[in-house]
Amino acid sequence: MDGDFNAWRLTALTPLPPWALALLAAASLGAVALAWRGLRAEQRRGRRAALLALRAGAALLALFLLAEPAVELLRTARVRNRFAVLVDGSRSMNYPLEPGGPSRARAAAEFLADHRSELSRLTDRVDLEVYAFGGDVAAVSPEQAARGVPATAGKTDVLGALEAVNAGAGGAAAASGRKLAGALVVSDGADNGALQEGVAGPSAARLRALGFPVNAVALGRDAPRDLAIERVAVDDFAFVRNTVKVDATLRVRGFSDQTVQVVLRREGSVVAQASVQLERGRDRYAVPLAFAPDETGTFVFTVSTPVLPGEAVAENNSRSFVLRVIRDRVRVLMVAGRPSWDVRFLRGLLKQDPNVDLVSFFILRTNTDTPGSQDELSLIPFPVAEIFGEQLHTFDAVLFVNFAYGPYRGLEIDRFLPNIRDYVRSGGALAMIGGEQSFGDGGYGDTPLAEVLPVEPLDGTPEAEGEARVHLTPEGRRHPVTALAAGEGQSEAAWAALPPVTAVNLTRALPPGRGAAVLLEAPSVQVQGRPAPLVAVREVGQGRTLAVATDASWRWGFVAAESGEGNRAYLRFWNAALRWLVKDPALAPLQVEPDAPAVEPGAPVGVTVTSRNPDFGPAAGRKLSAALVSEDGRQVAQGVAVAGADGTARIELVPPGPGAYKIVSRAEGAPDAATAAVAVRGAGPEDADAAPRPALLQAVAETTGGGFSTLPDGSLPRLALNDPEVVEIGRRREVPIWDRWWTLAGLAAVLAAEWVLRRRWGYW
Amino acid sequence: MLRIGQVQHGGAWNPRPSALRRLGWELGRRTSIEPAPDVVPVRLADPGLHRTPMLYLTGTGSLPPFGEAERSALRRFLQYGGFMLVDAADGSDGSGFDASVRAELARVLPASPLAAIPRDHVLYKTFYLLDRQGGRVLVKPWLEGQVLDGRLAVIYSQNDLGGAWARSELGDWEYPCTPGGEAQRETAVRVGVNVAMYALCTDYKDDAVHLPFIMRRRS
Repeated sequence: MDGDFNAWRLTALTPLPPWALALLAAASLGAVALAWRGLRAEQRRGRRAALLALRAGAALLALFLLAEPAVELLRTARVRNRFAVLVDGSRSMNYPLEPGGPSRARAAAEFLADHRSELSRLTDRVDLEVYAFGGDVAAVSPEQAARGVPATAGKTDVLGALEAVNAGAGGAAAASGRKLAGALVVSDGADNGALQEGVAGPSAARLRALGFPVNAVALGRDAPRDLAIERVAVDDFAFVRNTVKVDATLRVRGFSDQTVQVVLRREGSVVAQASVQLERGRDRYAVPLAFAPDETGTFVFTVSTPVLPGEAVAENNSRSFVLRVIRDRVRVLMVAGRPSWDVRFLRGLLKQDPNVDLVSFFILRTNTDTPGSQDELSLIPFPVAEIFGEQLHTFDAVLFVNFAYGPYRGLEIDRFLPNIRDYVRSGGALAMIGGEQSFGDGGYGDTPLAEVLPVEPLDGTPEAEGEARVHLTPEGRRHPVTALAAGEGQSEAAWAALPPVTAVNLTRALPPGRGAAVLLEAPSVQVQGRPAPLVAVREVGQGRTLAVATDASWRWGFVAAESGEGNRAYLRFWNAALRWLVKDPALAPLQVEPDAPAVEPGAPVGVTVTSRNPDFGPAAGRKLSAALVSEDGRQVAQGVAVAGADGTARIELVPPGPGAYKIVSRAEGAPDAATAAVAVRGAGPEDADAAPRPALLQAVAETTGGGFSTLPDGSLPRLALNDPEVVEIGRRREVPIWDRWWTLAGLAAVLAAEWVLRRRWGYW
Repeated sequence: MLRIGQVQHGGAWNPRPSALRRLGWELGRRTSIEPAPDVVPVRLADPGLHRTPMLYLTGTGSLPPFGEAERSALRRFLQYGGFMLVDAADGSDGSGFDASVRAELARVLPASPLAAIPRDHVLYKTFYLLDRQGGRVLVKPWLEGQVLDGRLAVIYSQNDLGGAWARSELGDWEYPCTPGGEAQRETAVRVGVNVAMYALCTDYKDDAVHLPFIMRRRS
């Protein structure tokens, strides 16, 4: 063979297309078949065989000439593929290889230094690449790997690293088209990435899809002595005064025959605890903890167990979580002075709301009514002392619907009005809804309730009857109670389109500085030269009050529904009013929300603060602050920012260390703070479990056809590599083999021989 | 204020002109309900139907079929929370007003067929504790109703309640009540009170706070 070429292969030079060659081949077969058919009567097998052989030989030679065969001379080369050594650089490599021994990272460095020459010998066949990996991969030099790679990564993702190196990440040379012939993973196998659940199903398929053998050296066999709160299962939110179940999983390695306490704390205070008797041979314990939160809000809870002497990791002995405690149902007391359409539709709305626990009392007869014998009636005594006295604090909101306190002999409801006022000031909610027994008509102007109402009742002034359209005030355009639609203009238009009310209780707006705002007024009804307030709100003490100075709000629903608009405006108004009254956190003017309820160790806590003005417009340009407060009440981090045009600001806070923190946010000039909570994890996934997983690495090696060994005591396994790929490079040459004189002579000779024999044996 | 709209239809729509006024008078005398002094005649297809959330439909003889606009308006009225008392003034059963109004109610609320209101329904304890029926006649010893979203949207009496309520300007009852006489009339008034209470309070008397008192009185 020519010295420039090192390979050859047969080829055809014919210009005929494949289909033409196929036709000719079929014709040749037909010629042989015809010969065989003509020779069926021949008794002498030798003659028959000779003639058939000559016909077949002629057909083959003819096809040979037509195909114009040639030898193609080639120059080829074997591709020099890559071999990757991946060294684990995650934090779990800081744990000892064995009790009292060097760290796994140190052992990995020594192993690579000891076997450097063997690995270098691979460079005869492949290019050797070395990487450090954790959650990402980064190229390192062999010398650096032999000295030791820093074990700082917060994640271990063996499969992700292999895929990344295969795809060319971390400086790999895949872009040049060279493939990995194999890989060697040096790791403790404590994977918390794609292989966290082991090699099975999709992860096994992804490993096989790599297409090269993965060899592995596992660092460490035995888990160090350790207690860990491995898992805490709890709902994202809980109902106040209802039992919350927290299912903690305690993982124990190397300890037995003793009792440990598992404690659940809410921001430092113990709320539940349990004793666990550690048994020999058992490593996991389900620890149920239960408690009933007594107040609403967002809190950080921490499940912890003491750090025992000799434990490898102390940080994983506690685990924090954030729990939002919400009210189970809003408990509403509705007292109606008489049956009316207003109270009927409002009661229907509240009864249908699954979040409302409604207790209602209707005054169905007055002192002057004569319905007959009491025994024939379904009426019950009005439990004034019970609902306005001892039970009052159990209600989130009290609604007086056209209810007068005065006309009921013997009930002495006026004795309880100071109690209701104090209930409001200490955080309760009161709504007074109009009618001919309400506001001034009910004589409330000179009672303790007037001190907390959002309007001043005008005693002795009867309600104004007649249709009156309503109009949003500037405060009402932005307030959530009167927001019927998104945007001030749309909300104003929605109110203007509603049917008019048919009566208005005459009241006067409170002077500025009393915490009250008129949201809706009736311009056609004047009180001392100003439009009569129709809907007003007030924040008084720690509570809230609402005034609806008409008994015809039902018309915004039922009468509006006749026109095809439906009763959405009515439902929206009353739902928003109730939510505002009971201080639904979503309606507070200052809100603070962390990016995530829990962050990894060392990560900052990002919070978004949203501030609104008292009129609920965005508080653009307002100075906002957020602070982290530790469990002992100390402020440990603070940040300040100025709200943007939308009233929001983002602040990043750096926690001093793991733990549970309250986030307290304030807006300049606003009295109330907004709070949230965040947990900074004591142990990230790398620290949560110090146990090596040699079995995982062995499974990886077996799945991909690689070698495996375990340190200590093990050595470099037999490294499996794919064979190098052969590729053609440079020029090629074709040497025809059909255009020789003997080819044609052979065809002529065969044809002549058949002709002669056929003549002699009498076939022609 | 309870103002009742009386449905004007193509037949004899107001055979007992004084009945609702008298019922209002009784409501004012016996309960805290504030009745309106007048009754509002309403046509189902006319605007303003929803201004009176309680309707009264009565008649003698066949009720001419409603038009589609009337049926649609009544259906919408009931679906959004309206209430209607239907009273067969002719005491018919299977013919006359009874046959035609049943057919019409079935067309208005086809998914809510008329059914007898059980004896333990809250309707019978909204104000008076009732265990019998009243009316000018006693064709059926029960009331029937059509239920929407768990509440009675339509209540139907075949006993001519209006005939028992009707009273002349001089204070005389306009029709005798048979077979029960004045006791039957008193029951008819009490049924009217309970129906009005139900219209305004729905199932208020089913609230748990009332149950011990009611059970004690019924025992």
